[in-house]
Amino acid sequence: MSRVENDARHAVFAPVDTVARVDAVVRRLGDAIELGLLADGEQLPGESELSTRLGVSTVTLREALMALRQQGLVTTRRGRGGGSFVVSPAKPLSERLFLRLADWSTPDLRDLADHWAAITGAAARLAAQRTEPEDLAPLHRSVDALAAATEPAARARIHARFHVELAAAAQSARLTREEIRFQAEIGTLLCLALTEEEDHTRTVTLQRTLIGAVRDGAGDRAGTLAEECVQDAMARLIGLRLGIAG
Amino acid sequence: MVTTHPTGSPARTGASDVIDEVSRILEGVFQEVARTRDRCEQLAAPADAEDRDLTTADFAALPELLRQQLASGRDLISGVGFIAEPGLLGDVPVWLDWWQNAPDGSFRPLQLDLDPNTSAYSDYTHWEWFTVPRATGGRAVSGPYVDYLCSDEYSLTLALPVYSAGRFIGVAAADVYLRHFENAVMPALQQLPGPACLVNTRGRVVASTDPRHLAGSLLKDPPLGETRSSAAAPAPGGPGPSLLSCGEIPLHLVTGHA
Repeated sequence: MSRVENDARHAVFAPVDTVARVDAVVRRLGDAIELGLLADGEQLPGESELSTRLGVSTVTLREALMALRQQGLVTTRRGRGGGSFVVSPAKPLSERLFLRLADWSTPDLRDLADHWAAITGAAARLAAQRTEPEDLAPLHRSVDALAAATEPAARARIHARFHVELAAAAQSARLTREEIRFQAEIGTLLCLALTEEEDHTRTVTLQRTLIGAVRDGAGDRAGTLAEECVQDAMARLIGLRLGIAG
Repeated sequence: MVTTHPTGSPARTGASDVIDEVSRILEGVFQEVARTRDRCEQLAAPADAEDRDLTTADFAALPELLRQQLASGRDLISGVGFIAEPGLLGDVPVWLDWWQNAPDGSFRPLQLDLDPNTSAYSDYTHWEWFTVPRATGGRAVSGPYVDYLCSDEYSLTLALPVYSAGRFIGVAAADVYLRHFENAVMPALQQLPGPACLVNTRGRVVASTDPRHLAGSLLKDPPLGETRSSAAAPAPGGPGPSLLSCGEIPLHLVTGHA
């Protein structure tokens, strides 16, 4: 067997996406701390419990905790009563979110937007074929809740749920899991795209129109509208990101 | 909506075998759900007798049964538990005790964020497996649906209401992943002479041997409507679709669908 072939075979059995997993854990826990979902001084679960719940190896978790310590979001105390503790940042939320947005490059944001739009568009097309009026109740409830929500963080949570419900309406577990993954990755930052009243109103209107297309069984229109929902929100984030960079 | 012919009116041996099999499989799951319900009612009784608020502590012994049920129902039951009526317990506003199969073969409690200030999924009272038993006092077979609350799996959820001292205190339920249900029911379905689908009361396909109508798709009203006008289902191999109910299980067998 040639060396190249050997190396290639070796790569087959290499850990899957370890670096991406570390980043994903840092992002998830980091976002939760930034947003105050995890309170200042709160003790994180032990390493083995936390790694099990996150579905990563303890090695991956340790690397992620190290990165969080470096960012000052976690502190670790040794010995009896020791463990990892949350350190809430002193800066206001929007400022912290802008800092996290600055961690993304615009090509990465653009790529995520395209992927997310593709998934959401496909979900909307299938939902239009597979949905009965009664199945749309959760989506109606979410868009009403989004319209009524005043806090950007609450808006982002409901916006995320709308996407998950749309994929569930498509009767696809895979598309639903993909939507859940996007929420973990970018959901928190969407606060920034839903803060301005004008943006909030436009998002609500777009989602209502999308539900109408799904209800009418108009698959292509639903798909196009769903893609527009994603691209519209992501364009605002990218705009903000470019503002920061400039 | 789907109207049905009573089970057994047409003489269709293969079809009645499928119906018997569906009933046997899902009634077996309902028996487990009834055990969960009975245990919950038993655990809730002392609080009612002592005229105090129920608390989560009253249900401390429930996981032992839930783990047993997962262990014995491995091929079919992937999640089981009790979901409390909000506002009922003295110590927490909302609560559920739900156990699931983990990928490594162990059993784990579901840990949900039920704080409405941080989670968009804290209100579980809109799910059909909760609303139907609460509203009707009867059983629910909910799905197939993507269960993004618990497992992210395409599932059926079977649920029964739980009462204590005459008031509704929550639901007992079990999850059956659709792929496991298909495994269980497919041998009988494949005995039929032609393609067939099991559908729920809304016409959504639950299991199918018809590649044109796979699980998750909707059998739209027109073909189902045609069966409504016929007095009895057509004979095997006869023209037109026929629709048979699965008795107490709210699923229907459709054969001869275009």
